[in-house]
Amino acid sequence: MLQWINSRFPITDLVERHLSKYPAPTNLNFWYLFGFLLIIVLVMQILTGLWLMMNYTNTAEEAFSSVEYIMRDVEYGWLLRYLHAAGASAFFVLIYLHMFRGMMYGSYQKPRELIWLGGWVTYVLLCAEGFTGYVLPWGQMSFWAAQVIISLLGSIPLVGEDLATWVRGDYLISGITLSRLFAFHVVLLPIMLIAVVFFHILALHEIGSNNPDGIDIKKHVDEDGVPLDSKPFYPYDITHDVYALGVFLLFFCAIVFFFPGGGGYILETVNFEPANPLSTPEHIVPSWYYTPYYAMLRAVDFSLFGLTAKFLGFVTMAAGIAIFAALPWLDRSPVKSIRYKGIYSKIFLTGFVISFFVLGYLGLVPPTEIKNILAKVFTIIYFSYFLLMPIYTRIEKCKPVPERVPA
Amino acid sequence: MKSFLILLLIFTFNIFGADEFNCGTIECDEFKVNISNNADLQNGLSIYMNYCYGCHSLQYSRYKRVAEDLEIPIDLYVDNLIYDGSKPGELMKISLTKDDAVNWLGAYPPDLTLEARVRSPEWIYTYLRSYYSDSSRPYGVNNLVYKNVSMPHVLEDLQSSMTENEYNETISNLTNFLVYVSDPSSRERKQMGVYVLLFLLLFTSFAFLLYREYKKELK
Repeated sequence: MLQWINSRFPITDLVERHLSKYPAPTNLNFWYLFGFLLIIVLVMQILTGLWLMMNYTNTAEEAFSSVEYIMRDVEYGWLLRYLHAAGASAFFVLIYLHMFRGMMYGSYQKPRELIWLGGWVTYVLLCAEGFTGYVLPWGQMSFWAAQVIISLLGSIPLVGEDLATWVRGDYLISGITLSRLFAFHVVLLPIMLIAVVFFHILALHEIGSNNPDGIDIKKHVDEDGVPLDSKPFYPYDITHDVYALGVFLLFFCAIVFFFPGGGGYILETVNFEPANPLSTPEHIVPSWYYTPYYAMLRAVDFSLFGLTAKFLGFVTMAAGIAIFAALPWLDRSPVKSIRYKGIYSKIFLTGFVISFFVLGYLGLVPPTEIKNILAKVFTIIYFSYFLLMPIYTRIEKCKPVPERVPA
Repeated sequence: MKSFLILLLIFTFNIFGADEFNCGTIECDEFKVNISNNADLQNGLSIYMNYCYGCHSLQYSRYKRVAEDLEIPIDLYVDNLIYDGSKPGELMKISLTKDDAVNWLGAYPPDLTLEARVRSPEWIYTYLRSYYSDSSRPYGVNNLVYKNVSMPHVLEDLQSSMTENEYNETISNLTNFLVYVSDPSSRERKQMGVYVLLFLLLFTSFAFLLYREYKKELK
C-alpha cells in the first residue's frame, strides 16, 4: 500500500525529510520551542475560528448580539470564543519570543535570509489578522480602533483621504467596513498566512535549523550526509516539543478558564458595549501587542518638511515593523550568535528589548509630557539597534566560534 | 536571558497593576464577587425583575437559561417572574420603547446584560448605594458615582425600609446576579477548568518523563 503511494507520491520521503528524520542540532535550547507552539496555536485559531464563523453574523446590526449568542446559546460557544481571543494574544507572545530568538542567535543571517523574510511576512499578516479580528465583535473599541487605524491612511499626502474612503468602503466606519474586514479575516489573510508559514518551514528544512552557538553543523557530516552534531526530530525533538506544549497549555488554559478577559488585555471591558458612532470612549487603546508601535505613532508630534505629524508618526510606526525585514543585510558580523558577538551587539540588543517593553507600556497609558519624551527617547533606542547595526557589528571584537557543538 | 525574563515579569505586573477602577467622584467600595450561592442570586434576580426590569432589559439573556442556572422551577418562574406572557425560551427584552423612554426619562435606559463587564461589580455595588437627596435635580436625587444621573432612586422605598446592613446585603445580591448574567457560563467554566488543568498536569508530567528518558539516550 505504502509502496503503491510512494511510487506515485513521495510520502515516506516527505515525512522523513520534514518530520521524523529531520536533523536538528543537538544544542537547541528552550528558545527553539516557540515555532512548534506557534503552529499549534495557528491550527487552534483556524479551528476555533471556523466554528465561531458558523454562528457569527457579519452585519453592523447583528454582529454584537451574535457574539453574545455564541457566548450564551451556542453549546460551548463561550469556550470557542475565549480560546480564540486568548489564542490571539498567545500568538503574539509566542511570535515575539520566536522573533527575539532569531535576533539573539542571528538566525536571519546568510543563508537563512528567506526564512527570516517568510517569518517577517507571517508577523505582518498576523498584525493584519489581529486588527481585522478585533473589529468583528463590533463593540466600542472595535469601532473606534478601526476608526483610528484606518484614518491613519488619510494622513498620506494627496491620495490619503480617498485611500481611506476606499478601504472603508464608506465615509465612516460602517457595516460595509465590517463585512469586508470579516472577509479579509476569515478568507484572504488565513490563506496567505498558511501559504507563508508553509514556505517558512519548507525553507527552514532545506537549509536546516540554526542553533544557539550559530555553528554550521553541516560542515561535519557522517557517511550518510547527516550532520554529526544533530539528532533526528523523532523522537528527540518531538518529545521535547510535546513536553513544552503541556507547559504552554497549562498557562494558556489557566487563563482561558480562570481569567478569560486577561484583566482587560485579552478582552477589553469597553468592548462589551456595542459600537456607538456617536460616543467616543475616553481612551482609545489598541490591543497590547500593537502598543509599542502605537507609542511610536504618538511620539512623533511634530511636522517636518510640510508633512503632517500624523503622517510622520504613521511612517515611523510602519518603519518600526518593516525594519525587521532588513536585519539580514544590516548585520555585518562574522558570527551569528550573541554568545560570540562583541559587547556592542549585547548592549544594543538589550536596549532594543528594553525599548520594546517601555514603548509597549507607554502605548497603553494616556500620554503625558514626560511620557512623550520617554517615548521619543525609546523610539530612537529601538531604531538605533537596527540602523547602527552595520557599524557596531563591524567594529566590535567577536569571540571565535568553535568548529563543533561544545559537549 | 535571565535578566530578560525578570524584565518580562516586572513589566507584566506593572501593566496589570496600573488597572484601577474609579467610581465617578469617589473610590469604589470593596466588593467581593460570589456567584456560587443560588439563594443570593435568586434574591438578586427577584429584586432585578421587580425594580429594574421595567426599564432595563437583559436582551442577550433568556428567561429559561436564568431559571435553569439558578435552579428555579420553571412553572414558578413563569408564574412569578415573566410579566408579559413571553415564552421561557425568549430573550429578556422589555416593552418600553425608545421614544417613550426619551419622552419620560430623557434617555433610553441601557441594557444591563453586560453591565458588570463594562463597568465593574465594584462600580455597580457602589453606585446603587451612593444616591443622596439633591433638590436641584428633577427627581430630587443625585449620585456620587454617576454625577447628575437621570435615573431616579428606584430602590428608595427598599432602602428606607431596611437597616444599612440589610440594604448592603440586598445590593450585594443584585450585583452578584448582574455578574452572573454578564457571563453565565463562568461557573461551568471554572468547574471544567479544574479538570482541564488536572489533566494537563498529568499529561505534562508524563511528557516530561518521556522527554527525560530520550535526553539520557543522547548523552
